[in-house]
Amino acid sequence: MPVVHVRMDNRLIHGQILVSWNSAIKIEHIIVTNDIVAGDPLQVTLLKAVAPLTSKVSVLSIKDCVAYCNSPEAENENIFIIAKFPEDGLALVEGGLNMPVLNLGNQAFVRNSKRISNTVFLTESGVKALKALHEKGIRITCRMMPSDPDSEYWLTVEKALPEWAK
Amino acid sequence: MVGIIVVSHGNMAEGMLDAARMIVGEMEGIVAVSLREEDAVENLMERISSAISEVDTGNGVLILVDVFGASPFNASSRLAMVRDKIEVISGVNLPMLLELAIQHGDEDLDSLVQIALDAGSSSIRTLSQTLKKD
Repeated sequence: MPVVHVRMDNRLIHGQILVSWNSAIKIEHIIVTNDIVAGDPLQVTLLKAVAPLTSKVSVLSIKDCVAYCNSPEAENENIFIIAKFPEDGLALVEGGLNMPVLNLGNQAFVRNSKRISNTVFLTESGVKALKALHEKGIRITCRMMPSDPDSEYWLTVEKALPEWAK
Repeated sequence: MVGIIVVSHGNMAEGMLDAARMIVGEMEGIVAVSLREEDAVENLMERISSAISEVDTGNGVLILVDVFGASPFNASSRLAMVRDKIEVISGVNLPMLLELAIQHGDEDLDSLVQIALDAGSSSIRTLSQTLKKD
């Protein structure tokens, strides 16, 4: 399977990815996907500049990311997808990406979000997106580091934010 | 004077300033910014931006970060790319900071960048290599 990991992390490519994930998984291609980031030339330049020596970096819109991952070109690569928010993950699946597991990385505080832990703050729309993914049979995990347990995180979200998860 | 900002994961940046003070005494125009676990890159950018206003006297600012490509680097770079006279150097170490603390009042930004790169890399050496030279 070409897509080996799908992570929602609003820091995008950063230390945990470059150091921990890049040594735990053989990543050949990092695709950063978020429509706003893909439309910001400054962020695109910077993301490509920090590519690890062992992989290439693309910055694509959600639509282009799905199209690329389903193309023959992607078949022989190990792809690590990084999007920004749970809503991006749902858009990827609705667009036609085959994704058995969605991993939540850093979700920093944003306006109208509620705290689950130091590293995870979710908005109502983020929780709804995770719920839709869960109902589609996609496993939700929350692993900052590869060594973190890969237990089902939807149960934690349901317990922590029942008003939004119902 | 060129302003100096050290940006790191956790408390390392503050710790480096603390260590530097033990060697060169009180320092002017040098501040630390820390990335916290709960930070978004945008929060960090705001704090670095305030630090720039604090230390910039018009002669430019040198931002020293810990890891190339990590959030302190990314946040600093996004600010440096759209402003003049700001440079970002990754792989900060104490000898680099010490040399800058001594010279940042006298040298311009371009010279300090070279001084920082030289001091940072030449300080990394092994005892055995050093002893062999004699």
